[in-house]
Amino acid sequence: MDNILSLMEGFATALQPQYLIFGFIGVLVGTAVGVLPGIGPAMTVALLLPLTYSLDPTAALITFAGIYYGGMYGGSTTSILLNTPGESASIVTALEGNKMAKLGRGAAALATAAIGSFVAGTLATVGLTLFAPIIASWAVTLAPADYVALMVVAFITVGALLGSSVWRGLTSLGIGLFLGLVGTEILSGQQRYTFGLLPLADGIDVVLVAVGLFAVGETLFVASRMRHGAVALIPVTRGWRSWMTKDDWRRSWKPWLRGTAIGFPIGTIPAGGADVATFLSYASEKKLSKHKEQFGRGAIEGVAGPESANNAAAAGVLVPLLTLGLPTTATAAIILSAFQSYGIQPGPQLFTNQPALVWALIASLYIGNVLLLVLNLPLVGIWVKLLQIPRPYLYAGILTFAALGAYAVNFSIVDIVILLIIGIVGYFLRRYGYPIAPLVIGLILGPMAEAQLRRALQLSQGDLGALFTRPFAAICYLALILIIGLGLWLRHRQSRLERTLAAAAAADTSLKVAVNQMWDAGDRPTDIKTRDLRVIPWKDDESDSPDDRQ
Amino acid sequence: MSSPSTGASGTGPARPTAGDVPAASPAPRSKLGEYIFAALALALGIFVFVGAFSIRVPGAGTQVGPRVFPFLVGTILIVSAAMVVVDVIRGRLADLEEGEDIDSAAKTDWITLAKITAFVVAHIALIELIGWPFAAAVLFGGVAWSLGAKRWWMALVIGLALGLVIYVLFGGLLGLSLPSGPLLTWLDPLLATLRG
Repeated sequence: MDNILSLMEGFATALQPQYLIFGFIGVLVGTAVGVLPGIGPAMTVALLLPLTYSLDPTAALITFAGIYYGGMYGGSTTSILLNTPGESASIVTALEGNKMAKLGRGAAALATAAIGSFVAGTLATVGLTLFAPIIASWAVTLAPADYVALMVVAFITVGALLGSSVWRGLTSLGIGLFLGLVGTEILSGQQRYTFGLLPLADGIDVVLVAVGLFAVGETLFVASRMRHGAVALIPVTRGWRSWMTKDDWRRSWKPWLRGTAIGFPIGTIPAGGADVATFLSYASEKKLSKHKEQFGRGAIEGVAGPESANNAAAAGVLVPLLTLGLPTTATAAIILSAFQSYGIQPGPQLFTNQPALVWALIASLYIGNVLLLVLNLPLVGIWVKLLQIPRPYLYAGILTFAALGAYAVNFSIVDIVILLIIGIVGYFLRRYGYPIAPLVIGLILGPMAEAQLRRALQLSQGDLGALFTRPFAAICYLALILIIGLGLWLRHRQSRLERTLAAAAAADTSLKVAVNQMWDAGDRPTDIKTRDLRVIPWKDDESDSPDDRQ
Repeated sequence: MSSPSTGASGTGPARPTAGDVPAASPAPRSKLGEYIFAALALALGIFVFVGAFSIRVPGAGTQVGPRVFPFLVGTILIVSAAMVVVDVIRGRLADLEEGEDIDSAAKTDWITLAKITAFVVAHIALIELIGWPFAAAVLFGGVAWSLGAKRWWMALVIGLALGLVIYVLFGGLLGLSLPSGPLLTWLDPLLATLRG
């Protein structure tokens, strides 16, 4: 097969020592930053984007792929080990993983998350390898009207289905589209919405918006209502043996595969990204499990399935990104802008114009997955240390790096001013419940959508009907209606599920009750493993009192 | 565009019969901020829409000029911001974002926000004056102190160390020269030799 050969060539590139090192650095930094609390994958990618500026495209993209996958892995460690009551119901992995850790099975939860992520990541990358070239060669036949349809689907699904309120999502999308308008218009060469300011003539840099919204906005939001006092970490048992028992393996492997099967397809369509996939996986695991009563109290299936779905979706997102140039999540949008900063436009032509680069990138995804598995399980101790960084220093560091990243774009102080302004806007977006992802998607996809729309209407001599009459475009709009209906129904289900879970959690918060319900006396993991427990003390030597506000 | 805490005066602790608000829920938030933000988004939409009229359309021949997309964007903003206002009137307030380090019951700490903003501004002002590593130390130390690190000098020292490490890494390995400032000019030739 042609593709296998190309993939082998990709491996030959990606396995060269210098690229291997870049891949390793990417994975390591991605995991380390992803583990840090309060930093999601999108912020990880945005913060680290400036670091890759001085590398050659292949090295930069390999590093970036590592950061992307690493950030995904790192997040699960945080949610499993960080003991912050009240919040976990919003993320299903956190819910079950956190409960498992409290029962003394944190190591098993981490292991099933890491191995599940590896299995899902690898299988989904195989899917990417098989499907991406086919989709790319088919996508060459797409007309501008079809792209307009695809982008409308992406706008509406991300805008209306992410976040808590449809209209707030669309408002956020509108703000992003507006920011995308700022700058010089390509065809007529005139400036739009620049207020005559020179720094705005080239448009607002995507890095500034992403770093401003995610890093600065998030820091300000956390600062405005920070949880003070000690960082409560759940201790983890040490040693290989505590990772996963035979029973854990038996209960995990099916959820891994099911999670992959759910996550990958959902990742490839613009339907809201990983969140939907994790929720669907959790719901189906709960339905199929023989241990239904454990759900909400630390069921391993509830970690294995959603974690796999999450990672499979992350790989799935790369399919439309690479083959159509269509980002369906905020993280993918930032990766797209990273491609563009190297003058590479992802899309159907990518596989024919830059085959060496694409296949090296895909090969590096396989390698990254292996590296992550190797890194994650034995190095959990280090990640745990990262979780303990005192919060004042953590957020001071995030802001410092954000300012550095903004400054490094052009070495211009004006950029930090813009960063601060966008950060303050990001704070108020969060404060009033507007989701951030639609804004980023709107900013990056908006100019592309405008170009395609104008091209489509140019071809049809201004006939608006032409936007809907092409078969593919028509299918897209039909699918959009279906997705919206399905999405609203899912959201309804999800909020019901969350309410049930919250009620279940509230019903018995006592650890003892939960342990007694799950195991007989003597079998309880808390019984046997107490001697292995490594209690991690709060190492902030600044103060002993929990409320250390001045 | 801040929202002063108007809710505090009306719903003080002196009213134990606060109606059907469950005890566990965070303090009732004022709607004023939500209205202001939605109104600003609405104003932005009107601005985009009206501003589109002043975009020049190059001579005939092109069916879709540079105005069409701005009109669309303006419409989206106006309609959705107006619907948000309707939502707020109906009492559907925003779901606040949750996070590991966020205390959802806490009141907004405007003083900390002001301090942090001030330190970013100071950082911006100082970069070219005293050099990036020192400006970074001011930013790091200031923000850490604002967020409750008790030993401010410790934060400053960590910030300075971080700034110097980044300065050397960027200048030496990645070839991106950050402003050194008057105190570190002697370092630059060294870094240049490191780059080879």
